[in-house]
Amino acid sequence: MFMLTFLFLVPMAIMFVFSLWRTNTNFDVVADWNLNNYARFFNQPTYIRTFAKTLVMAAAVTGAGLALALPFTYFLVRYTSRRLQRAVLLAVIVPFWTSYLLRVYAWQAILGERGALNQFLMGIGLIKEPTTLLVYNDLGVFVVLVYVYFPFAALALYAALEKFDFTQLNAAQDLGARPDQAFRHILLPQIRTGIITACIFVFIPILGEFLTPTLVGGAQGSLIANLVVNFFRQAQIPEGSALAIVIAVFVTIVLIVFRRSLRVEDVVARG
Amino acid sequence: MPVSPFARQTRWGLAVLAGAILAFLYLPIAFLILFSFEVADTPGFPITGLTTHWYEVMLSDSAIHTALFNSVVVAVIVAFLATVIGTMAAFALVRGGSRFAGTSRLLFTLPIMIPGVLIGIGLLIFVRRAVGLKLGLDTVIAGHLVFTTSFVVLIVAARLQGFDRRLEWAAADLGASSRQTLRYIVLPLIAPAIIAGALLSVTLSIDEFVITFFTIGPQLTLPLYIYTQIKFGVTPEVNALATVILVVTLAVFGLLSLLLSSGRRYRRRGSE
Repeated sequence: MFMLTFLFLVPMAIMFVFSLWRTNTNFDVVADWNLNNYARFFNQPTYIRTFAKTLVMAAAVTGAGLALALPFTYFLVRYTSRRLQRAVLLAVIVPFWTSYLLRVYAWQAILGERGALNQFLMGIGLIKEPTTLLVYNDLGVFVVLVYVYFPFAALALYAALEKFDFTQLNAAQDLGARPDQAFRHILLPQIRTGIITACIFVFIPILGEFLTPTLVGGAQGSLIANLVVNFFRQAQIPEGSALAIVIAVFVTIVLIVFRRSLRVEDVVARG
Repeated sequence: MPVSPFARQTRWGLAVLAGAILAFLYLPIAFLILFSFEVADTPGFPITGLTTHWYEVMLSDSAIHTALFNSVVVAVIVAFLATVIGTMAAFALVRGGSRFAGTSRLLFTLPIMIPGVLIGIGLLIFVRRAVGLKLGLDTVIAGHLVFTTSFVVLIVAARLQGFDRRLEWAAADLGASSRQTLRYIVLPLIAPAIIAGALLSVTLSIDEFVITFFTIGPQLTLPLYIYTQIKFGVTPEVNALATVILVVTLAVFGLLSLLLSSGRRYRRRGSE
């Protein structure tokens, strides 16, 4: 507990203090208390736009992740044997524990100009020349983020669906519910915590994503964390700190609001 | 039993989707491995020929040796400290009966959920500006401890919660001291979780990039080395290195999953 305070909470507090100071023209930090770093965030359209874009990207990836993971886990739990479920789940978890850097790197070889996708599209005659439509832009970032965060969503949903008694769906339909009604009114409410956990586990990390935009996003693919990193690169510590604090506060609020529905163990403690 | 007349089609549709998703998950990794055997010095299609040349290059690259050594040193120290501290914290959390259990839980969840960028930058400012120390492998270890300890806490706490306390009472009834109960009853039963936590810490630490990126000094760890390489373009040597890392991670992971499932089996039998 002490260690966590020392290595985590204290640095966060110091970052907060720095965010209230300013940088002088020599790039030294001056203890001159002010709110300008925050004011700038709300005044400069670039920051607001990037922050909004990050939220949209996070929401889109979360939506896509759920849209893939729900049918995936539903099929797994409902229609396959426990043995197969275990094997498939293991297959989903394995990429999840392998290096995040390498998983993003792997996509460069697919989306890039000499990448597998371009070669494939040229091979089937769909395009004549390599296209950069899929790399160094937002679409590339979106695809890679869905790839990186899908396992989180799948694990959270699997843990919830596993406890669901599917005969309830049949019972609802026997009592006259249409399949979609049974799905909406019987299944969805019972896997609510799983859905929320999945959303949090996909949405929040994207607010801090800077590697994927750096490697496959190109010039226009930057997300909010890239701005933070750029500030620190240019030794503008108070400015960067303010932006980092905005993200941290946002994340903490989300976690506190959903703390009762968040099942961290379902995602991280599965083998 | 399927009720809807479309149940059969639905089922097949879902099966196809599930297969496609698995392919989506593994295709990039397959390409990563394939390109490590590519003859040409930029990985990509068309494949011009297959060779193990890049593995030889990688094995004799001294920069990789140093980076690997740094990574292993960091990972071993991190795993040891995280396991010891995390296990103790898990006991306090589950057994302490603290009024703040909910708050502590949230506190241990935060480092896992908070994006690594923030942890890294926070530590960077703390060490450089507030304390005035130099960055180095020790600051990397500190950064890794922040989140690995939380993982250990959650894993061990989960096991402690499923633990039948009557076993401890039985041991006490039979005359065991509390130290003996801990040594011969409690620790062996939660050992799979502790070992799993340690292995997980090793894997997470070796693969960690974001926090390391901000907290490291002039040295390089393996992921940092890879990053410096791929920033200037892709080379089959990195693919070869990546392949080796993947295989090692898989081996550790297989061990981990065996440990966790063996513990789960025991618990299920115990509760019946």
